[in-house]
Amino acid sequence: MPYLGSEDVVKELKKALCNPHVQADRLRYRNVIQRVIRHMTQGLDMSGVFMEMVKASATVDIVQKKLVYLYMCTYAPLKPDLALLAINTLCKDCSDPNPMVRGLALRSMCSLRMPGVQEYIQQPILNGLRDKASYVRRVAVLGCAKMHNLHGDSEVDGALVNELYSLLRDQDPIVVVNCLRSLEEILKQEGGVVINKPIAHHLLNRMPKLDQWGQAEVLNFLLRYQPRSEEELFDILNLLDSFLKSSSPGVVMGATKLFLILAKKFPHVQTDVLVQVKGPLLAACSSESRELCFAALCHVRQILHSLPGHFSSHYKKFFCSYSEPHYIKLQKVEVLCELVNDENVQQVLEELRGYCTDVSADFAQAAIFAIGGIARTYTDQCVQILTELLGLRQEHITTVVVQTFRDLVWLCPQCTEAVCQALPGCEENIQDSEGKQALIWLLGVHGERIPNAPYVLEDFVENVKSETFPAVKMELLTALLRLFLCRPAECQDMLGRLLHYCIEEEKDMAVRDRGLFYYRLLLAGIDEVKRILCSPKSDPSLGLLEDQAERPVNSWASDFNTLVPVYGKARWAAISKYQGAEYRGPELPNTASFATSGPLIPEEHKETVQEPDSGALMLVPNCQLTAEYFEKTWFSLKVAHQQVFPWQGAVHPDTLQMALQVVNIQTIAMSRAGAHPWKAYLSAQDDTGCLFLTELLLEPENSEMQISVKQNEPRTETLNGFISVLETVLGTIGDIKS
Amino acid sequence: MIGGLFIYNHNGEVLISQVYQDDTGRNAVDAFQVNVIHAWQQVCSPVTNIACTSFFHVKRSNIWLAAVTKQNVNAAMVFEFLYKMCDVMAAYFGKISEENIKNNFGLIYELLDEILDFGYPQNSETGALKTFITQQGIKSQHQTKEEQSQITSQVTGQIGWWREGIKYRQNELFLDVLESVNLLMSPQGQVLSAHVSGRVVMKSYLSGMPECKFGMNDKIVIENQGKGTADETSKSGKQSIAINDCTFHQCVRLSKFDSEHSISFIPPDGEFELMRYGTTKDIILPFRVIPLVREVGHTKLEVKVVIKSNFKPFLLAQKIEVRIPTLLNTSRVQVICMKGKAKCKASENAIVWKIKRMAGMKESQISAEIELLPANDKKKWAQPPISINFEVPFAPSGLKVRYLKVFEPKLNYSDHDVIKWVHYIGRSGIYETRC
Repeated sequence: MPYLGSEDVVKELKKALCNPHVQADRLRYRNVIQRVIRHMTQGLDMSGVFMEMVKASATVDIVQKKLVYLYMCTYAPLKPDLALLAINTLCKDCSDPNPMVRGLALRSMCSLRMPGVQEYIQQPILNGLRDKASYVRRVAVLGCAKMHNLHGDSEVDGALVNELYSLLRDQDPIVVVNCLRSLEEILKQEGGVVINKPIAHHLLNRMPKLDQWGQAEVLNFLLRYQPRSEEELFDILNLLDSFLKSSSPGVVMGATKLFLILAKKFPHVQTDVLVQVKGPLLAACSSESRELCFAALCHVRQILHSLPGHFSSHYKKFFCSYSEPHYIKLQKVEVLCELVNDENVQQVLEELRGYCTDVSADFAQAAIFAIGGIARTYTDQCVQILTELLGLRQEHITTVVVQTFRDLVWLCPQCTEAVCQALPGCEENIQDSEGKQALIWLLGVHGERIPNAPYVLEDFVENVKSETFPAVKMELLTALLRLFLCRPAECQDMLGRLLHYCIEEEKDMAVRDRGLFYYRLLLAGIDEVKRILCSPKSDPSLGLLEDQAERPVNSWASDFNTLVPVYGKARWAAISKYQGAEYRGPELPNTASFATSGPLIPEEHKETVQEPDSGALMLVPNCQLTAEYFEKTWFSLKVAHQQVFPWQGAVHPDTLQMALQVVNIQTIAMSRAGAHPWKAYLSAQDDTGCLFLTELLLEPENSEMQISVKQNEPRTETLNGFISVLETVLGTIGDIKS
Repeated sequence: MIGGLFIYNHNGEVLISQVYQDDTGRNAVDAFQVNVIHAWQQVCSPVTNIACTSFFHVKRSNIWLAAVTKQNVNAAMVFEFLYKMCDVMAAYFGKISEENIKNNFGLIYELLDEILDFGYPQNSETGALKTFITQQGIKSQHQTKEEQSQITSQVTGQIGWWREGIKYRQNELFLDVLESVNLLMSPQGQVLSAHVSGRVVMKSYLSGMPECKFGMNDKIVIENQGKGTADETSKSGKQSIAINDCTFHQCVRLSKFDSEHSISFIPPDGEFELMRYGTTKDIILPFRVIPLVREVGHTKLEVKVVIKSNFKPFLLAQKIEVRIPTLLNTSRVQVICMKGKAKCKASENAIVWKIKRMAGMKESQISAEIELLPANDKKKWAQPPISINFEVPFAPSGLKVRYLKVFEPKLNYSDHDVIKWVHYIGRSGIYETRC
C-alpha cells in the first residue's frame, strides 16, 4: 500500500544507507535501519531500499542483523531476485559457532516467503534438526512446517516426517511441542499428527516438564487419542488430575475439555470434573484480567446449560460492579439469569432491579430482558418488578418492559391479567419501532381487558401519517381489526379511517396489501373474520420448544475451550460457514472498501449480542416448496438419516402441523387423522439454503414413528440440529396427547 | 496459532506489527483499527470477528495489543499469552506506554521474534530470555564467550526456566505478598461479595540451584504439621486462614504439596510468581465507606461520605482515592473535606478525593453539595456506587509468611547467609459501596 510521500522518504533513507560515513558509525547505521523498520510498521512501502538492506545484513552487530532480517522477511515476496542475494549471508550464518546466530539465520531464512527458496533452506534445516543446541533444533523443527507451506500442496516428505516423529523423544520440552505443531501443519491434509499409544504415554510423562503453552497444546493433541481399555483411561485421567489445578486458566480449561471428552461414557466422572474446576473457573471469573474473566464467563454459561444448579450457591460472585467493562456486565447478567433457583431468586432479582436504572441504557435493557427470562419460572415476582419499572417513565426502560411483557404473555398466559393492568399509560413513553409494535400487539390481543385500549390505538391511527416504520402500521392494522371484533362500537369508525388511509394513501406495498386483505376479509362477513383472526392463538405448552431443556454435557464438550462459547454457537456457525466456503480464498477486504463495508460489520455484531445463544441451525420461515418440486427432489436424494421414535396412539395432524410451523418446518402433505399407515412429508430450509426433506411414517402395529430425512447438501452438523428440533416437536406433541 | 501481533496507540496508529503466518495480511492491521479502535460505540467484546478473522485485544493504559488468528483457538490461552507479553515487556522497560514502546521498538521486535515463532509461543520466561535478547544500547556488540557457553549449557538443562552457573556475591531473596481486595457493599453496610486475590512474587538472587521451602499460615498446611505448630498458633494472636484455591509456579513440586503440604521448589533466577491464591473468608476490610445522600428538592443533592480505616493504628495506608460519581446533569459542585484534596472532575463525571496517608482506626469525611440541571425526566437516577482505591502495608486476607528456608548443598552458604526481605502490600481491586 504505497502512501503519499513515501517516495521521498525512501530516497532519503537510501541516501543515508549508502553513505559511507553512516556505515562507519555503528549507532548511526543502526538508527537509519530502525527508521526503515518504523516506516515499514506504519505501512509505508519500503521495498525500495531492499538492496541497501541486504548489504547491511553483512555485519557482526546482532541487533542490526535481527532488524535487517525482519525487514527481509516482510519484503522478500516482492523482491525475490534481490532476496536471493541475501541467502548467501544467511547460509553462512547458519554455520556460525554461536548457536543464537545459527538459530536466528535459520528462522529468518525459513520465513522468507518467496518461491524458489526451498532448495536453499532444505539442507540448513536438516542440519538444524541435528544441531547440538536445542535453540537451533526448536527453530529447525518449525522450519520444516514453514518449508512445507511454501511448497503448497506438494507431496509430504516421508523421511522428514519420520525424522520429526523421532524428535518427539528430544530432551528439550519445546522441541517436543514444536515437533507436534510442525507435524500437524505438514500432515494437515491427512488429518494431522497421529497420536498412538507410545506417543500418548510419552507425552503424558513429559507433561510436567512443559511450559504452560506446551501443556495446553499437548492437552489439545491428546484429545485425539482413544484409550484401549477403561483401565488405561482412568490411568490417564489420574496422571492429568493435577492439571485441573494448574495456575494457568488456559491449561485448566484444556484439561477440563480432555476429561470431558475422554470420559464421555461416564457421566459421573464428567460431573465430578466440573465440580473440581468450579474453583479455578470462579477464580478466573473474578480475576482482575478482564479479558480472561470474559472468556471464563462464556464457559460458565456453557456449563450452566447442562448443569443449571452448578454455580447457584456462588451467585454473589456474578454481581456486577459499577466500574467493570460493559462486556463483562452483560455476560454476568446472562449468568445470573441462568443460575437462579428458589433460594437465591429474591436476591438475584433485587440485584437485577438495581441494574435496570443503570446509566448505560444498553446494560439497563439487558437487565430487563434478564428479568423477563427469569419471569418464565418466577412469574409473579418478576411481573411486579417490571410493573414498578414502568413507573419510572423512562423511554428506554418502558419499551423493553413492554417487549418483555409481550413475550411473557405468550409463554405464561397466567400473568395476562397483571400485564393488562400495568399497560395503561405506557404509550406516552414509547418512541421506537420495537416497543410500539409490542404495545400495539398487546392492545390488540388483550384489548377486551384493557379499558382504554381503543383510545390508545386511536392515537396511533391519528398519527399514522407521520409514522415512519411500516412494521408498526402492519401491527396496527391487525391489532385494530382484532379489537374491532370484541369492541365493535368503539373501533368501527377508526378502523374505517385506518383502512382508508392504508389503501388510498399508503406508499408501502406490504402495508397496502395487508390493508386490502383485511378490507376484503371484512366484506366476506364478520364470522369469517372471526374464524380467521381468532383461531387458536398459540399453544402455550409449545413454550417448551422455546427454552431448550438441559443439554447433555457431551453435546458441547467438543466446543469447550474453543471460540464457540465466546462467540455463541449461532455466530460461530455463520463464521465457519463463510470460512469453509472461501477457504484461504479472498482475504479481508481492502482498506478502501472498508469505508463502505464498515458499518455492516458492527451491525451484524449488535444483532448477535442481543441473542448470542440459539442453536447452530437457523431454519428460515416462509420456505414454500411446491409439491412437484418436493417430489422431484425427494426422489433424487438419498436418505441422510433414518431413525424411529416411540409413538403411541394416532396423530392429530392439525396440532402437529401447527407445532411444526412454529419451528419453521413446513408441511407439504399429510395423511388424514386415523389413516393406516399414516404418512407426512415435511420440508424446511436453513439460512445457508440447505434443504431438509422429511418423511414421517407411522405403522399402526409398531407403535413407532419412522423418520427419514434427506438433505440436499451433506452437512452432519446441521442435520443433527434439524433432527433434534424435529424430535423435540414430536416429543412435545406426544406428551400433550398422552 | 497466532497469525499476527499488533500494537496500537490510542488513536489507532500502528506501533508494532509482526505477521507470523501467511493467512494474515497487512490489511488485518487496518481492519482492527477501523472496526474496533475507531468504532463509534463502546467495546462490546475483547474478541472481535472481522471477516472470519478473530482479533483478541488487551488494553494497557491507552495502548492496544491485538493478537490475530483465523483458527479456532482457545481464547483463554491467547489472552494469557498477551498478558505474558505485557509482563515481559514491563520487565524490560517498565510501564507499557506509547513513549516506552516507541523508544524500545527494536527491542520489542527482538522479543516478539523470540517469544513467538510461526505463531507458536516459545520461551517466555523473562529469566531465560535474557540470554537471547541483546538489549540495545546497553550490551556490547560482541557476545562474550561466557554468554555463548550459557546458551549451549541451557540445552542440557532439563528445567526450562533456569540458567546454570549463576553466582551472586550476596545471596538475596525478596518476597512480596501482593493482594488485591475486592468488595461490593450494600447501602446498609452489608457485604454483598468480598474476595481477595493474591500473589506471592519472589525475586531470587541466589547462587547455584538452591532448594527452598516456603511456609505460610494456611489452615491445611498448619493442621497437617500437627503438634509442633500447635503452640506456635497459640502464641501468635492471628490464627490460620482458609485459602480457597491456590496454584503454584511450575517449579513447585505439586506431589510434595499434596502429600506433605509443604511448598518446596528450586527458584528460577530473577522475578517470578511463586503462587496465586484467592480467599473469601475472614477478610480484613481495610476501609469502610459510609455514604449519606440527601435530596434537597429536585435540583440539589447533598452527599456526605465518611471513610473509616479499620486496621492497626501504627500502620499507614497510602494513595487513598475516593471516587464519587456525579450524575450527567450536574451543573455545580461544592466540596468541603477535612483532610486531603478534593476536586470535581467534570470530564470524568466524578468527585475525586485524594488523601496521601491515613493511619489505622481513624476516620475522615467529605461533604459535597451538588446542584443539578432541572431534568425533564420525572425520576432522578440512582446515585452510582462510590469506589475507593488505596494501598495498605498488610495482607487483607491475613496471610503471613512463616518461614522461607534455603538449602544449597553444593555451594558453601547456609540459610543464615541469605538476606531475605518480605513485603506485604494490599491494594484495592474493585472496592465499591452502593448508595
